[in-house]
Order: sequence, then structure tokens, then C-alpha cells
Amino acid sequence: MNSAISLDSIKKTLGSREVLRGISFTVATGDIFGYLGPNGAGKTTTIRILLGLLPASSGKLEVLGQDINRSETRKKIGFALDPTGLYDNMSATENLEYYARIYRVADATPKISRLLGMVGLADRAGDKAGTYSKGMKQRLALARAMVHSPEILVLDEPTAGVDPSGQIEIRQILLEIAHKEQKTIFLSSHNLDEVQRICNRIALIDRGEIKLYGELESLRHQMGKGGIVIETAQEISEAILAELKSLPQLGLQEHQGKHLYFSPPEEAEVSDIIGWLVSRGIKIDFAQRKEASLEEMYSSILKEVESR
Amino acid sequence: MKDIIWITSASIKNNLRSRITVIVVLATLLICAVGLAATFSIVLIKPEMKALSPDQSRLEMSLSLILSVTSLLGLGINLNAFAFQILTREKAKGIIQSLLATPLKEKDIWLGKSLAIFLPGLIVGEMLTLTALVSLNYIFFVPRIGFLINPWIILSNFVAIPLMYLSLSLLVYLIGLIGKPATSNVIAIIFLSGIITVIINLVIRSILDATSWTYFLVNVGIAAIIGIITLLLLPRLEKERIVLSS
Repeated sequence: MNSAISLDSIKKTLGSREVLRGISFTVATGDIFGYLGPNGAGKTTTIRILLGLLPASSGKLEVLGQDINRSETRKKIGFALDPTGLYDNMSATENLEYYARIYRVADATPKISRLLGMVGLADRAGDKAGTYSKGMKQRLALARAMVHSPEILVLDEPTAGVDPSGQIEIRQILLEIAHKEQKTIFLSSHNLDEVQRICNRIALIDRGEIKLYGELESLRHQMGKGGIVIETAQEISEAILAELKSLPQLGLQEHQGKHLYFSPPEEAEVSDIIGWLVSRGIKIDFAQRKEASLEEMYSSILKEVESR
Repeated sequence: MKDIIWITSASIKNNLRSRITVIVVLATLLICAVGLAATFSIVLIKPEMKALSPDQSRLEMSLSLILSVTSLLGLGINLNAFAFQILTREKAKGIIQSLLATPLKEKDIWLGKSLAIFLPGLIVGEMLTLTALVSLNYIFFVPRIGFLINPWIILSNFVAIPLMYLSLSLLVYLIGLIGKPATSNVIAIIFLSGIITVIINLVIRSILDATSWTYFLVNVGIAAIIGIITLLLLPRLEKERIVLSS
């Protein structure tokens, strides 16, 4: 695995507060890496360290195998932060031209036009960025992040405060950037659904520590098989429900009318639960195994941390 | 150097497109400068011109004082009005943080942004000072004693005072960048009101000759002192300090 970003035991202390407590993870080249965590967990501090805005108190950070403080390394990273840092009184084109100059991009005009087209702002290219909606500003920030053809994109909550249709547009653009432009994307987000849809690897940070890290699919597997949803043809009697609840091997979690949700232990199979219900004369309309969602993983880990 | 020019030009472009701010600043400036020049002319120049043989050195002194106050106001109001407002906005909108994440150096960003605040003020302030010089001459002096001009008046008001404000702009922006923009605004306001009060008092009490080389040197000296303070604070210009103060 070629690593695009590698953090090894990074610690950061701000004043008397230890914001990052020795975090380590690697983002492989070509990854769409989701970086999750609640407010105040240390996401923004990590991003600032990644971009060389803050020095780490200790630990080792490498971006494409190089020190982030080198000017050459910085040229290989594009970023869209929150807030976006756009000049409100300049047009979209002028904002991109400005960054193209900073990065010494040769023959920037056709590239800027292409990028504005890619993020769907070609028809508003001459309008001041201050007149844009939040979603349009985020898309412009994405285009700006791409203006110097970086190898890595670091994005801090690119869909925060954007309406649902705007979020979909941004997600599509990110997928296009990752697949067509072959970029590595480091995406910090609160939006679990978004991360689940587009990221292949994730890290979950809480209180300055990495609580979960790896391939999304294998994490789902590690977190268990997920749940089993069963829909019965008739309402279940109180007696049967009481009996079900007394059987931990079946793992009944929720019950609402004809809907039952089981979270059985690893060794249990769907057939065991169905067999038990049928043996009690209950007809089954529908049964499905649901994989553990990112939301379930996220909340179970945070609950575990809180209970300590 | 190219980076500084780009930062300056982009910032000026963005700042001056905020029409309401520009109109308010220009209007305030014009009212203050015209009002002060008129008041000083009535108090200092008119009584002297009524004499049978006006004292040319006193008239030059009054002219230099009026030009200094106009120049200080032009540069000062611009600095007060723009530095605080722009820096606060740019920090809040993440403009400074985004620039710091590029290959640009902190010093280039600081210099470029400071110049973006100083240069429009320099142009407006010096245009007003030049207008005051020409109009006062043609209204009061030319008809009776000819065009009043003195090289030290020119050097003091068109070189030394702008130099002083260049140093102050660099200091004010530096403090605003590594700390709170409001602090830098307080410094700019105290400096503007303080320096105008001190100059008027020293000149009117004949302690300082506003038409001599000493006046020029005093202004250059103040510029140098501010410059030294700025240089002493320069090691604090670190990305971490800027980012965490945003």
C-alpha cells in the first residue's frame, strides 16, 4: 500500500489541553478516507496539522513521504476548509485565478473554465462569490482546491450547512474527482451517511484518540454481522414477546407492531430466529439481515467511550 | 516579491469592491480634511494675511501644520476604517488560514496584506494633502506673496508622514494577525489622535518648527521607532499563532 498521508503517534497540546493523544493512521493513495468524530474530538486540529498550519507537539507526519513544511509538498495538497476562505467581492474566476497564480499554474485559463464546468458553476463564473449560496461556495472551494492539480485533497466538512440537493451534488463531484482525476481524498465530516456512501476507509476520533480505523467493509465485519429485521404476518402476543425477550441467544432488540429487530450473537443465524418464530405458529412475511451501519458503529463506540 | 504583489493587488481589488465602506470612508475623510483645513485657515492664516506685511515664516508654519494634519487624517482614517474591519472579516471567513495553507510564506502574506491597506490610504491621503497645498496657496498666498513652498514641508508631508504610516500599517496588521484585530484598531486610533494632538501642540507652542529639517527628522524618527517595534514583534509571526487567533 502506497501511503499518501501517514500519521504516527501525533500529539498536540494547546495550552494545558491535550487535543490529540498520539493518533496514528495511514491514508493510502487513491483512498477516499472519511475522518469522523463529534465536535471537539480533534478533527480540525488534525487537518490543521496535515496542512502544516499547526506543528505537532510530537510524532511523525509524512505527506507523500515528505515533510509537510516543504513548499514542494504543499503544492501537492489541495484543500477546502470550513470556512472556505473565498474572497466574497471577487468572482469565481478571479478567486481561482488568484490561487492559480499563488501555485504558479501555467496556462490557467482553460483549466479554470474546465474546473468551473466540473463543479457546475460555469454559468455563474463572473458573479461575485459573495452572491453564492453555501453549496455553491463549497463547490467553488472544491474547484479552487483542484486548480493546481494536487495529488491529495483535504476537505473539512464540505457539505456542512448545505441543503440536501447541494449535498448530493458535492458528493457526485467528490466521486468524480476521486475516480476520474485519480485523487486521494481526506474528508472530515459529521455526515455519517455521506461517509458511508463515498468513503472506502475511515477513522473515528474521539477526545483526541482514534477509536476506530480501517476499511469500512472490514470494520462492518469486525463490528458483527449487524441486525436481522423480521416482519410478521400478525401481531405478536405479549406471552411470546416475553418468551423472546428471555432468550438472549436470539437477541431481540426492538419490537414495534409486526416489526422485530434482532441483534443476535455472532454464532446465531437468521434461520434460528425464523425457526423459533414459526415453531410458535407465527407466519413470517419478510426477513433480512442488515449489515451494521456506520451510524451503529459510530454510536456504539461513542457509547462505549462514554460508559468508561 | 511576485507573491507580495499578487496578495496586495487581489486584496485591494476585493477591499475596494465593498462600495459602501469605500463611500463612507471617503466621505468621512473629505469632511474631516476640508473641515480641519478650513478651521485652521481661519484661525491661523487669515489673521496673518490681514497684516500689512504678512510674516512668511509663520504662514509656512501654518501651511505645514494644515498639510500634516490633512496627511495624517487621510492615512489614519483609512487605516482605522479598513485594517480592523478587513482583518476581522478575513480571519472569520478563513481567507488568512487558506493562504497560510498554500506555499506562501507568513511574511509575504503579512507584507502583502499590510500594503493593501496602506496603499489606498497613501493615494487618498496624499491627493488630499496636495489639494490642500495648491488650494490654500491659490486662495490665500498667490494673490499677495506668491506660491509658498519649502522643501522640508514637502519632504515632511509627502515622505516622512507616509513613511510613518507605512510603519504603523505594518505594525497594526502584524498585531491584528497574531492577536485580536480589535487590539490593533485601538493602537491605530490612539496613534492617530495622539500624534495629531502632539504635533498641533508642539507646532503652535513653537517647540517644533514644522518647516524645518527637525520636523522631517522627528517624523522619520517616529517611523523608525515603530519599525523597530515591528521588527521586535516579527518573530511572533507564526502560523500557529495566526491560526489559533482566528
